[in-house]
Amino acid sequence: MNVAVIVKLEPDFSEGNVSYNADGTLNRAETKNILGPHSAIACDAAFYAKVTIGARIAIGTMGPPIADSALKQAQLISDADELNLYSDRAFAGADTLATAEVLKSGVIKMLEGSKKDIVFSGHRASDGETGQTGPQTAWKLGYNFLGNVVQFVVDINRNYVVAKRLISLQGFDDIIEDVEAPLPVFITVDPSYKSLYPKLSQRLAYTNYRKEATRRAQNYKEWLKVYDGKSLQLDPKFVGLPGSPTIVYRVEKIPKARASRRTVQVDSSDVEGIKSITLDLAQRLNS
Amino acid sequence: MTTGSLSGSSGGKYRNLYVVVEHINGRIVPVSLEMIGEARRLMDDFNSRYNEAEQVVAILLGYNIENLCQELISSGADVVVYAEDKELEFSTNTIDTKVISQISKDPSLARQISPQYIPPYIKPRYMFFAADSIGRHLSSTVLADLESGLASDINKLVISDIEIRHEHKTKGATVRYEKTLEMYRPDFSGFLWTTILCLDNKNPEIMRDYHPQACSIIPGVFEAIEQDTTRKGQVLRYQPVIDADDMKTRVLKREILKKKIDFEGHRAIVSFGRGIKDDPEQNIKVIEQLSELLDAEVGITLPLSKRPYQLSESVNSKFMIPERVIGTSGSIVTPLIYIALGIRGAVQHIAGMKGAEFVLSINPDDNAPMKDESDVFINGRIEDVVPLIIQELHKLKERNSHKG
Repeated sequence: MNVAVIVKLEPDFSEGNVSYNADGTLNRAETKNILGPHSAIACDAAFYAKVTIGARIAIGTMGPPIADSALKQAQLISDADELNLYSDRAFAGADTLATAEVLKSGVIKMLEGSKKDIVFSGHRASDGETGQTGPQTAWKLGYNFLGNVVQFVVDINRNYVVAKRLISLQGFDDIIEDVEAPLPVFITVDPSYKSLYPKLSQRLAYTNYRKEATRRAQNYKEWLKVYDGKSLQLDPKFVGLPGSPTIVYRVEKIPKARASRRTVQVDSSDVEGIKSITLDLAQRLNS
Repeated sequence: MTTGSLSGSSGGKYRNLYVVVEHINGRIVPVSLEMIGEARRLMDDFNSRYNEAEQVVAILLGYNIENLCQELISSGADVVVYAEDKELEFSTNTIDTKVISQISKDPSLARQISPQYIPPYIKPRYMFFAADSIGRHLSSTVLADLESGLASDINKLVISDIEIRHEHKTKGATVRYEKTLEMYRPDFSGFLWTTILCLDNKNPEIMRDYHPQACSIIPGVFEAIEQDTTRKGQVLRYQPVIDADDMKTRVLKREILKKKIDFEGHRAIVSFGRGIKDDPEQNIKVIEQLSELLDAEVGITLPLSKRPYQLSESVNSKFMIPERVIGTSGSIVTPLIYIALGIRGAVQHIAGMKGAEFVLSINPDDNAPMKDESDVFINGRIEDVVPLIIQELHKLKERNSHKG
């Protein structure tokens, strides 16, 4: 069984690493980058496939050379057998469709070009937040697509994946859907995804692969392959800016809405003021 | 209107605004009606400005859905194309993508929708999907299939003619793009607005048409049109071609989850944002006490659902979760009392709470946009103000129990 994961290097939104400008926007220059948290969950799902069915794992990311740090972190989580960086100046500025074009070719080349049974991606990137790249890569690969997966098992006798998906629609209670699909499948994992290892044999395998992952990630460059547009046999017309149907036309500050309430301001040193607000709150709640 | 006047600049090859509708348990999901409302407003304006007769076309897939068609017409659609098949009872991505793609490319269907336009018809001009668990992925795969551009999580739309000079799109020349859909999306911070355009490549070296111009729309931002049951429209049944192989992906069962976070069931909501940062662990404790005293549900802002602090796993999994997010990326709430602690007030957040009856904000920055959304604004830090309120609430409780 061959498993692929596509991941992304993203700004680290954790306190101490993230930096905001005075107007509330992200200060990209001062913010560190890490493997995106949703990418990390996708790597954990791949690791689950390694522990439970002994899958071989390949990770791929499109980005500048420094994006190899995301691959290192991904290997630490997944004990990946192969790391792939797709890096080319010609890829810069790509929208989701042009990104999916690169990732599709990358996934096909993984693990000596063998068939990939499952491809994982994260729910969405924490900076771009479109959530489109995964499903668009799936479509270009021609794989069945399962989104919002919170749990899955691989039925190796039937070559099927059986999964639980979380569906949230505005104005309705959430739904958990049980779904099955024949391999190959492309899965995006929901943020609430959890790997469960109920069997003792699985927990033993888990511990062994974890140790191996730590060893491998220390020398992650041994597992790393770097591709550019040429080695992926990509047509430059379909990648980067030339291959992107969409452009960013304008970026502006969102104008402040007109004040909708008449605001009473109280200073934190005004103890009596705060007391009377508290009384007002209590009265409103009891009315 | 004569046929000649309708050929337009793009010759009618790309026409109409297609809206992909979602429904569940026999009910249309509200965002679908909101999208049709916005589509109606945009296309009324479009048709009068450009002297065209392009239509709002709703696409509906499912089983036993014929009864939903009139509701879409009543809400502003000119045409409903519905595909009815047992295989479409539950949404599966591959089948839905192929059927929507078939419908949106079908020339005879396009001719039925608007016989006054001269063929050829190739693809829709514009296309809307919901930015939710189903529409987000469906829009991605449909647009990958139609090989065109897609913007996600849109909260404002404008159609205009734009002069573009772009290194790749126009090879540096100035080109006028008519009938361009300006798609506005707030970024993750909530303070920046990015306008995305989907443009044909006019550059001779990479010449390519990109239609439809498509987007997914945030639930709750556009207003649905009040239903008018006397409104008339065309209802067309479409017989989809479904591959036997695709039927192997099957929904086995569905189970409704009871909500763990209950904003509707509480009269008050206490929400917090990045203002907890000086001492997150301690501040959350205080916030929890306040919410217990007020019998309030606890909400958070979107950035906090990304778990920016080093906290214990129990605090993280209790509070820093997407289910608690208030705003367009989470829940829209209308409590009697809304208390915003250390919340700066990104537009997405404000859109989620502006319907509250009474708003109290506590924030050390009196330039925070949240101030204008508040009835009372206390200029201070959570750790300085909230304990005082808690102390006062305890006193009030004691007094009441003595009286009682």
